[in-house]
Parts: sequence; C-alpha cells; structure tokens
Amino acid sequence: MTYPHMDAQLNEYMDGTLAARDRASVEAHLAECAGCRTAVAELRALVAGAAALPKTIEPGRDLWATIETQIRQRATWNVQRFWRGALAAAAMLVLAVGIYRLFRVPRSDFRVGEGQGWAVQADFDRASDELSRILAVERERLRPETVALLERNLAVIDSAIAQSRAVLARDPASAELRRFFAAAARQKVELLRWAARVAAS
Amino acid sequence: MHSDPTDLIHRAQQGDRAAFEALYRAHAGRVYALCLRLTADAAQAEERTQDAFVRAWERLATYRGESAFSSWLYRLTVNEVLLGRRAERRREQRVVTTADPAALERPRGADPTSGRALDLERAVAALPPGAREVFVLHDVEGYRHQEIAALAGIAVGTSKAQLFRARRLLREALNR
Repeated sequence: MTYPHMDAQLNEYMDGTLAARDRASVEAHLAECAGCRTAVAELRALVAGAAALPKTIEPGRDLWATIETQIRQRATWNVQRFWRGALAAAAMLVLAVGIYRLFRVPRSDFRVGEGQGWAVQADFDRASDELSRILAVERERLRPETVALLERNLAVIDSAIAQSRAVLARDPASAELRRFFAAAARQKVELLRWAARVAAS
Repeated sequence: MHSDPTDLIHRAQQGDRAAFEALYRAHAGRVYALCLRLTADAAQAEERTQDAFVRAWERLATYRGESAFSSWLYRLTVNEVLLGRRAERRREQRVVTTADPAALERPRGADPTSGRALDLERAVAALPPGAREVFVLHDVEGYRHQEIAALAGIAVGTSKAQLFRARRLLREALNR
C-alpha cells in the first residue's frame, strides 16, 4: 500500500523536481516500502505511456471547408469594421476640434465665441449621434451588465449636457459655462470611445 | 509537392489562402489530437480545431518566427480550448446540463497502437476537466507547470495538485 501523505512527494520524486535532501529522504523511504516502490513504478509507466501516445489524430471529417468559410466571412466583417472604425475616428476628430475651438475663443472676441459655441454644439450633436449609431451596431458584442452600466452613465452625462446647454442659452457669453459644457462633452466622448473599444476588442 | 514551410507561412501572412490551407493540412492532425484530448469530445474537438485555425489566420501577422510555427500554433490552440472551456463553464453556471456518460467511450477517431494505449486514452477522457487538461499538457504534451499555470490562469501549485490527482485517478482506473 502507499501512504496518501507520500503522494505529492512520490510524484515530485519521479518528475525530478525534489530538492536533494528531500530526494534522499524519499529514496530512504522507498528502500523500506514496497507499496511506494510499486507506486513509483506505476507512475513511471503511466508517464511513459502518456508521452508515447500518438501525437496526431486525424479528424473524422475534413474541417477545411468550414474554416475557409469563416475566414472569408471574417474578411468581409473586418472591412465593415474598418469603415465603422474610420467613421468613429472622423466623429472623434470633429468632437476634438470642436472642444478645442471652444476653449480657444479669445476673451476679447465674445461675439465670435458665441457663434462658435453654437457651431461647436451642433458639431458635437452630429459627432455624438454618429458615435452612438456606431455603438448601436456593435453593442450586441458587449455584455448586458456593461450595456446597463454604459446607459446609466450616458444618462447622467446627457443630463449634465442638457442642463449646461439650457444655461448657456441664457448666458452664451459665459466662458465658465462653455467650459462646463466642454467638460461634459469630453466625458461623453471618452465614455463612447471606451465602449466602442471594448465592443471591438 | 512539398512546399517550404517558411515560404508557406510568409505567403499565408500575405493573405494567400491556398498557402494557409497547406499549413492546415500539415498541422490539422496534431491540433485535432490536442483538442480531442483536452475536451474529451469529438464534436467539441472539431469545433475548437476550426476556431484555432481561424484564430491563427487572424493572428498570422503577429507570428515573427521567434519560435517554431508549430509551437506557436499549438500554444494558440491550447489558449482557444481553455478559453472556450471557461466560456462554457460560465454558460453551465446559468444552464443546468446533464452528465454525458458517452464521454467515457471517447475519444472517437483515436488510433492508438495498443490496447494499453486505448485504455489510457479512455481513462484520460474520463478524468475531471481540470485534472485532464493539466495531465494532457504536462505528461502528453510536455509543458512545464509554469507554462500551464499561465495558459490556464491557475497557480503553479494548483497545476501540480491537478497533475498528481490525475495520475492517482488514472492509476486507479488502469489497475481495475
């Protein structure tokens, strides 16, 4: 018989992973224990048998046709994703430029700044819609709990954007309000970008 | 006609599907054997083999020739199988499945050279999944515990414990 507490040591002994002192201790035990000697012999036979198993087993049918079909489909899908990615990048660029313009309006030129503010908001709406549309296509690739989290956060940010927009309408010259709007817009951009990246990964 | 493997890999990296098919023909048996032993199920093994080759096609550009193409492909296959099993485990936690007694008769399609090897194949197929995976990777495929731990997302100690458990169960099964 073998001793259960020896099981790990006998395996390590056979694998040659024991420290010298432990190895000597196991060898001393083996000299006196026929059960453990048998166990080691069985382990050696088992490991030799496993290593000698055939390395190649042909599948019962040719799998290439299915693989090739999948490769072709992926190629088409990748082209579609490339264009979706390009559109997303374009939308991001519009948002980035818009936010930059919002921050760069000189204090002495509030009239132009006000006009730019509305243009930036319009740009933001278009780009945000485009990103949301792209995400709507990809969202099935996200886990339901991620979609729920995304929607909760988007709702909070959209609410902040709507509020800042309403206040800006009453005081369009306020640089502080424009910064607040830009900060909320940037948060939305970051969130949409993150979601699109996760969906695409 | 035999083609130079390096040339086949290079052509496949350029999008040549015929070259990739030649690579498939050269490695399908080895990849399928790996999948079959890891899953103990012929249908799953076919599916994982297909997944592995599709993934290999997608990731061919990342193969830089630092290791043998076969090693790269088999490691990618192990990843596919283990990832597939993790996803399956998550599904199983949501859906109650029945046990599959036919698994004891698998793997189908194996052509071992002796009755002893057939007994061993059957006993390996009947192991619990975690123990089976570690045994196949360590004792059949020759991976080290550190590699198995990294591939399976487990601790080295867990890999060793699963291996020793698998060997104990196999000795018991083969001594019956």
